[in-house]
Amino acid sequence: MKILDIKELSIRVAAAAAPPLQLLEKVSMHIERGETVALVGESGSGKSLTARAVLGLLPSAAQVTGDIDLGGLAVLKASGAQLRAMRRGRAAMVFQDPRSSINPVRTLGAHLIEPMMQVPGANKAMLEARAVELLASMGLSNPEARMKQYPHELSGGMLQRVMIAGALMNDPELLICDESTTALDVTTQAAVIRLLSRAVSERSMGMLFITHDLALAASIADRTYVLRHGVLQEHGVTRQVFERPVSEYTQQLVAATPGMRSAPRSGSQPSGSAGAPVLSVENVSKTYQLRGQPPVRALKSVSLAIPAGGGLAIVGESGSGKSTLGRIVAGLEHADSGEITLAGGAITGGSARERRLKTASRVQMVFQDPYQSLDSRLTPAKALAAVLKLHYRLDAKAMRARIGQLLESVGLEERHANLYPRKLSGGQRQRVAIAKAMALNPRLLVLDEATSALDVSVQAQVLELVNKLRKDSGVAVLFISHDLAIVGEICDELLVVQDGAIVESGPTRAVLGNPQHPYTQTLLASVPRPRWETDPGAGTDPDPRHGDLEPARNNRS
Amino acid sequence: MAQSNLAAATPPAPGAAKAPRQAATALKLAAGKIGAFLFTVFVSSVIVFFSRWLVPGDPINFLLRGRSPNPEAIAEVTAIYGLDRPPLEQYWNWITGVVQGDFGRSLQYRQDVTEVILGRLPVTLGLVVMAGVMIAILGLAAGIAASLLRGTFADRAIVASMSGLAAIPSFVGAIVLIAIFAVQLGLFPSFGSGNGFADMLYHLVLPSLALALSFIAVVGRVTRSAMVEQFAREHVEVARSRGITPVAVVIRHVLRNATGPILTVSGLLVAGLLVSSAIVEQAFGLAGLGSLLVSSVDRLDFPVVQAIVLIVVTAFVAINTLVDLLGPVIDPRLKAGEGAR
Repeated sequence: MKILDIKELSIRVAAAAAPPLQLLEKVSMHIERGETVALVGESGSGKSLTARAVLGLLPSAAQVTGDIDLGGLAVLKASGAQLRAMRRGRAAMVFQDPRSSINPVRTLGAHLIEPMMQVPGANKAMLEARAVELLASMGLSNPEARMKQYPHELSGGMLQRVMIAGALMNDPELLICDESTTALDVTTQAAVIRLLSRAVSERSMGMLFITHDLALAASIADRTYVLRHGVLQEHGVTRQVFERPVSEYTQQLVAATPGMRSAPRSGSQPSGSAGAPVLSVENVSKTYQLRGQPPVRALKSVSLAIPAGGGLAIVGESGSGKSTLGRIVAGLEHADSGEITLAGGAITGGSARERRLKTASRVQMVFQDPYQSLDSRLTPAKALAAVLKLHYRLDAKAMRARIGQLLESVGLEERHANLYPRKLSGGQRQRVAIAKAMALNPRLLVLDEATSALDVSVQAQVLELVNKLRKDSGVAVLFISHDLAIVGEICDELLVVQDGAIVESGPTRAVLGNPQHPYTQTLLASVPRPRWETDPGAGTDPDPRHGDLEPARNNRS
Repeated sequence: MAQSNLAAATPPAPGAAKAPRQAATALKLAAGKIGAFLFTVFVSSVIVFFSRWLVPGDPINFLLRGRSPNPEAIAEVTAIYGLDRPPLEQYWNWITGVVQGDFGRSLQYRQDVTEVILGRLPVTLGLVVMAGVMIAILGLAAGIAASLLRGTFADRAIVASMSGLAAIPSFVGAIVLIAIFAVQLGLFPSFGSGNGFADMLYHLVLPSLALALSFIAVVGRVTRSAMVEQFAREHVEVARSRGITPVAVVIRHVLRNATGPILTVSGLLVAGLLVSSAIVEQAFGLAGLGSLLVSSVDRLDFPVVQAIVLIVVTAFVAINTLVDLLGPVIDPRLKAGEGAR
């Protein structure tokens, strides 16, 4: 039985003095009871818009045609009251960032029971009892006490469990997850995914799972739809879509997804030369003291070394201290104790400004979000000129030549030089950030989650660029990431950090292939894998309506 | 398998040890704020008292106006008011009296300052409170309406008219209001404070409105921007996606979260309100603290001036301390201190 049936849904918005923007074009999809359907696509593909359309949450400016049938309710024609009743009962949505999707000034209990309290004759005590029960089933300890807590008192993973509990309060027939695990750490993501699949099979709900992460979709979905620029590219049983993609776009996506492509590209990876290390860190510790709170030991006596031209990845979850380490290496923060040695001898003497400039010419940092790390009022040419002027005396001609050369080295064209950041795509912006970092010919590049905010195809291109720069200029790379799947592509050596300490280190392939420390093993086990690899029985059935999917899933959990 | 993993991944629940620690932190924060309040009032009392020495003119000359400046009389008056003591001792005598409600004797009225002030207080209090109510109701209403209509012509019209209102000085507003409501329409009296409580309120309608106008505009604009900011928050969309009615979304998720900035700005406005009340009292011929302050400054009646200034400063600091103390009630994140955000 179909729970959701979308027929030829088109959405466009009128833009002032421009042709209307077509956001979604004739998208048709359906979801059966007890079925998990993934909707994958890159940013701007229209996947979140589809989810909002299902709940009738589109802005009034949108021109919508087509038909959405949600368990018998024609969503596009329904009245406000009908829509609200549907959102309270039939369909629920879990958003991406639990921290921003729950009202920070109200208790979790108030959040959980709020929609059902709107129904006339609601019984508060009964609703609270149900909420407590759901919190317990989400694996939250002490559920009664949680009801009186505020969102800031819980971690992101715990909050997302609360959000899911809230979505399940009225036994919805359809659960929509819009990137619901993207903001979570990989181990937390794995736990939340298990909870979600269990909820789907226990309640025989339908689930629409929206994600940009193909590996994640492959790990959870029975069927998958691929969306690009508002047009469906391909759909079918998940395994078929990913193993034998028909459309060119899906093939590209699969090829760009780390862990999904058949042959890792690590063969092309340059390796560091022996000799004096370009960076050596010895017994570095750092403790943060916040007012009225116990001190946080961000780094506990950490040591590492990177050979000239080498590549070292630091992997850990949020709060592991990996970013603190990167910032200390880049000179943005000072260690409480320990030694940081950059190739070229100690930087002493001269004014503070000279020391700063010297450090900057040896080590440069690239940050996660190029939308925030670039000055929106500076074009790439101006931004690069500003960096170059600080360090070199170049005449106008030499300056132009150097800027052109830098842009070319990061794969940008001359026409990009004078565009403001808002006119550049995320990948182009990150290339500008990398060009800025490379402008001084540093010996070491610190990349702090530098590809995490990018779409998967763009991510692959930026990784390739970093590898190319390593080969061409011999710059060493310190690659900080939460994503185990991509570190193998860029770094020969790997460090795993947990709670400010290194728990495992070694050649990347050896660590990933044969992890010794339990934490590394947990991390690796949490990386999403296609269902057909972990559970040979699932995903082969061409018709998911057959009931034998659920036992298969129960085996898994 | 999944079950055990989940339990392991879940940090311990709020333990018994956490609650008392939080309560202690909250108490410490509150005590700190009250301490800061007392310190501020003390410092301002020092400034208020010693600023007398900065003002040109000698109170004794005023006291003896019309009489021959005979040295004996000067000595007598000086002794009565304690003007011959060292300044620190004078301050000590004054402040110990103030703490007991004794602000000394007025030079112009030959009465206890406390009595003089108590006689004038009801009018000013009525004026400020009524203006406050108008500001709260009309300012919030205008701001909420504009935020609900954000992006439309009506929103722009409200914002534009509020910008206009904010630019009108209260004495101009007073004249316009008198011309329209008192002279043309004859609805409200334009002078004096009436007899009895109800009559006083009736007499205070126009003055309160004149006082409130520009503040309504400021509160309205702050309300609008705080609400618009909240409307853009993701949790508001989440609330909508959960079938919450529009009214409940606005009240519980938008207005509720916007109260913090609105209250903070309103607290700061109190100083302006108290100052402007003096002007409005003059315009409407009201016998309140404001007009008393103006005439006392004129006549170098320093005990009265000092008393009024100290009362106004204390009221202002007290209201803002109260707003500060309300902070954690409005936003529970403030309870845990700054680090918890």
